[in-house]
Amino acid sequence: MTAPLLDARALVVRFGGVTALDGLDLSVHTGETVGLIGPNGSGKTTFFNALTGFVRVAGGRAQLAGADITGLEPRRIAAFGIARTFQRLRLLLDLSVFDNLMLGQHLTLDHGPWSSLFARGRFAAAVRGQADVARTLLAAFSPGLPARLFEPARALTMIDRRRVEICRALIREPALLLLDEPSAGMTPDETAELMTDLLAVKAQRPALTVVIIEHDMGVIERVSDRCVVLDYGRKLAEGSYAEVAADPVVRRAYLGED
Amino acid sequence: MDPGLLAQHVFNGLMLGVIYALVAVGFTLFFGVMDVIKFSHGDVVMLGAFTALAVAAGLTGMGVTSHPLMLLGMLVVALGLMAVVGALLARLLVLPLRGAPAINVLLITLMAGTVIREGVRLFYPQGSNPKPFPRLLPGGTVEIGSFTLRHDSAILFVIGVAAIVGVHLTLARTRLGLAIRAVAQDPETASAMGIPFTATVLATFAIGSALAALAGVVNGLYYSEISFNLGLLLGAIGFSAAVVGGLGNVYGAILGGFLFAALQTIGAVALPFASAYKDVFAFAAVIVLMALRPAGLLAERSAERV
Repeated sequence: MTAPLLDARALVVRFGGVTALDGLDLSVHTGETVGLIGPNGSGKTTFFNALTGFVRVAGGRAQLAGADITGLEPRRIAAFGIARTFQRLRLLLDLSVFDNLMLGQHLTLDHGPWSSLFARGRFAAAVRGQADVARTLLAAFSPGLPARLFEPARALTMIDRRRVEICRALIREPALLLLDEPSAGMTPDETAELMTDLLAVKAQRPALTVVIIEHDMGVIERVSDRCVVLDYGRKLAEGSYAEVAADPVVRRAYLGED
Repeated sequence: MDPGLLAQHVFNGLMLGVIYALVAVGFTLFFGVMDVIKFSHGDVVMLGAFTALAVAAGLTGMGVTSHPLMLLGMLVVALGLMAVVGALLARLLVLPLRGAPAINVLLITLMAGTVIREGVRLFYPQGSNPKPFPRLLPGGTVEIGSFTLRHDSAILFVIGVAAIVGVHLTLARTRLGLAIRAVAQDPETASAMGIPFTATVLATFAIGSALAALAGVVNGLYYSEISFNLGLLLGAIGFSAAVVGGLGNVYGAILGGFLFAALQTIGAVALPFASAYKDVFAFAAVIVLMALRPAGLLAERSAERV
């Protein structure tokens, strides 16, 4: 088998006396969609935060396509091709939908202080090109969204905000997309719709690699090629959804069954 | 009132408003990205004016007599140097205190302002005396009825408005502007998008301080005189304007600048007592405004921040 895209080895994260990640090994191959599940506090979001440089890694290492990204600043890790969403939605609500999507493009748009400040013509041309890209991407999630490109994100409904946040992560065509509970705060119907859109977007990008944290087991069953179950910051089980769901250890820890 | 005289007062008010807006925008930008009040800002305005004065003296000493050339040299050096000073103040005093109580930054920049002010008073030749500022702009006037428009004032007004429009365009339409707005709203999300926090903060302080230098030079050219303590009042006015407009909101700061100038003008013109009380009237009105609208005219939450 080829080398994994993401390779985390023995990751350790501590918050004071609490060990949130306790030597976690997890690797993900290019094009895979991995569902990350586990009880509250099992270290799922902490794993994302460790990968993206939002918390300090106390031990172990993480590699993306062979490059060591352990302990780098978030902005450096972003440049390696990791994009993420947040469980507590973090769109910049006072900015327009378009500005939020432009932020997602920050790394690839017009480098250098000179072009940032003075080359307005080139920036504007890039912006026009990006507006088309943004509209296409938004349309994949909702036909009504492209028309609202220049409205403030605050004006959108919860599900539209969630869609825009995913678009913001997708727009720079990351190698690895980390989705932190995209269904949080949404109705089952909205969740189903979002997952359909997500699968369609994924189908267009066979090389896109996704790790998705979810509490909704239906979502995990539907979208993931492989499941990883965390408990107390360690890997409890791994395999297909059916295998994991049938695992008695998982049922005891996660589903609270005896 | 005679319409010509009224126009005169309105223009004078607008002229002051531009200067105040330039200062207020700095306060609001700094608050936007770092949630701090940088109280040395008024003294950076003053230092910018004295830098320009020193450049004028230097160029005169070198035999340069062309007024446009002198003006260009003064602006380039004063704005450039104050941008560096602003970035240095951010790097050395503001960024290291990130996470400390905001009151510490307030105190430390208050002291830095005193150091700058006393430094100019002690080390600039006869720094404690008011200094004549060279009149470099054409001195003619246009008379429309009883309204007299001085050429130099008109030019200064245009320069100031152009700078304010420039700030707006930078924030609204450039990659750096978007980075500044993103850092102001949520530095963590911004970093996840690949935006460098420190560089963005330094750029913001550089821009705000260059605007302060411009305010200082415009102020000097308008009044033809500067003194080492001009930053005290201009700083207080700029800060008030930024707060009245809604701290963190650039358009609020601009509005606040013009509003304060309007209040001063009304205080000087419409009230029965002497114009010496115009500042008392304007600041009193600000106090009343703050009591009525504690979050400022364009409160941060309802309008786009930075």
